[in-house]
Amino acid sequence: MSLELLNTLEVILNGLMTGVMYSLVALGFVLIFKASGVFNYAQGVMCLFAALTLVGFQTGQIPFAHLINVIFGTEYHHWSSDITGGMNSFLAIVLTVIVMIGFAYIVERFLLRHLVNQAPIILFMATIGLAFFMEGFGDLMWGANIKPLDLGIPSGGSFWWEEVTRTWATADSKYIGMYIDVLDVWAAVIAVLLVIVLTLFSQFTKTGRALRAVADDHQAALTVGISLRTIWVIVWSIAGIVALVAGIMWGSKSGVQFSLSLIALKALPVLILGGFTSIPGAIVGGLIIGVGEKLFEFWIGPMVGGATENWFAYVLALFFLMFRPQGLYGEKIIERV
Amino acid sequence: MGHQPNINDMLLEVKNISLSFGGVKVLSDISFDIKRNEIRAIIGPNGAGKSSMLNIINGFYHPQQGEIWFNGHKRVSEKPFKIARQGIARTFQNIALFKGMSTLDNLMTGRITKMNTNIFWQALWKGPAEREEIQHRERVEQIIDFLKIQSIRKTPVGRLPYGMQKRVELGRALAAEAKLLLLDEPMAGMNLEEKQDMCRFILDVNDEFDTTIALIEHDMGVVMDLSDRVVVLDYGRKLADGTPDEVRNNQTVIDAYLGVVHD
Repeated sequence: MSLELLNTLEVILNGLMTGVMYSLVALGFVLIFKASGVFNYAQGVMCLFAALTLVGFQTGQIPFAHLINVIFGTEYHHWSSDITGGMNSFLAIVLTVIVMIGFAYIVERFLLRHLVNQAPIILFMATIGLAFFMEGFGDLMWGANIKPLDLGIPSGGSFWWEEVTRTWATADSKYIGMYIDVLDVWAAVIAVLLVIVLTLFSQFTKTGRALRAVADDHQAALTVGISLRTIWVIVWSIAGIVALVAGIMWGSKSGVQFSLSLIALKALPVLILGGFTSIPGAIVGGLIIGVGEKLFEFWIGPMVGGATENWFAYVLALFFLMFRPQGLYGEKIIERV
Repeated sequence: MGHQPNINDMLLEVKNISLSFGGVKVLSDISFDIKRNEIRAIIGPNGAGKSSMLNIINGFYHPQQGEIWFNGHKRVSEKPFKIARQGIARTFQNIALFKGMSTLDNLMTGRITKMNTNIFWQALWKGPAEREEIQHRERVEQIIDFLKIQSIRKTPVGRLPYGMQKRVELGRALAAEAKLLLLDEPMAGMNLEEKQDMCRFILDVNDEFDTTIALIEHDMGVVMDLSDRVVVLDYGRKLADGTPDEVRNNQTVIDAYLGVVHD
């Protein structure tokens, strides 16, 4: 294989991996949008909050330590004197899942319940408020410093893959092999598993059917005996768990910090491409954006001075809005006159 | 004609119901009852408050005044999903199916009130959840046979023709095995053949499943043939209540609804 081709392949491969990470965030949006027609602006902050909570548990931080110290003049930070000796990672994940379910319950109880039958824009505004609240609340609970997240997921370039791909080039070239981050591969595998589990659950269980029923028609769902409140708690819980997975992956990559909540903005073009109501759409949209922006940077980037990754996704989404506003897999709304 | 109802055995009693939206009075002081096993029709011109009445029985609207007694108990103001669990199922005037889901899934969703394994068993799928699915699937297949919709079992209902959608919606309501079935214009927009089928189904449901049925219908021929008793509403008031023959010969009804005879 020629060097040119190998380099392109490498770019595509890495694009796919990045795309999976975008899909993970977009998935959380789609779940909530389908079930309640709410565009949940807080999804990105939920990723941040979930990751913060996980790190907090794992490293043995005391929640609200700063607040407690200010009020009582104490000096607490961690519940174990040994900073590294927090909690078992698995236990920390389980506890974080419980926190996210509790969070879903609180959102339903204090936000959604009072906004039933309101216009979507009202609910959207409410989620913006929720996003700001959670941002501050997360900081207050766990502190605003950047935290490394290490769950023992392997990371760094794969030497094995480098060795394998090196042999693909002609023998006399100085090709050193393809780079692929093992963490990205793990993220991809976990994302695929998550989608499979979610799909099976929604297709073949009673609650899954209830979720789809609510997504389809609220009124009809009520008459067959489905409680909207319960369904909303379940949906927000699942979105919270998806946010946790996304938070773990992005957090392991770049540390748990405020910028984590901004990946929500990257999910927007993914949703416009894939359609707001489609789970496969979120996956395909994420992959297209991931590969698209990497290839664009690789081919066109040098001609325009680089840094195209910052805007490529949005421009692509803009074109999509012109030609296929419902997205690749979205439902086309035909108004009968 | 359906079963001869057991006299004095009331399934539902509506007492002095008044409902208004802001300044608009929709229903004023309406009382009537539904006996076990009967087919009860609610008729009246457009805007008479028929659908509002159904919405009250089903819990979408909460009347400002009046009481509802269901199955011997006075009902407190409840959410529609709880009322569904007490045994009231319904269909809608403008079909409210889960359009993206298959016929089978729509019917299975109708059985949600009867299924009670918790979410963790469902997530595991094996064990109680699987047994429950199979058991309810059998019941749903019986309903599919009964309504003769075998061929559209896997079709997303959004793609079905109108008459078929109405039939699936009836199926979903039947799947709930409710004590009381509310049908809001089950034959609206159907052709003659579809209407005959639907009449047959309604009578058979009443007969075979011992289901009490309250229906709203504009086709007077159908109403007079099907129902045991008829209540007539007009502008939120009750005009008449009785057997089809009594109602047909009631002068107020003739004047207000069926049209004044001009000499």
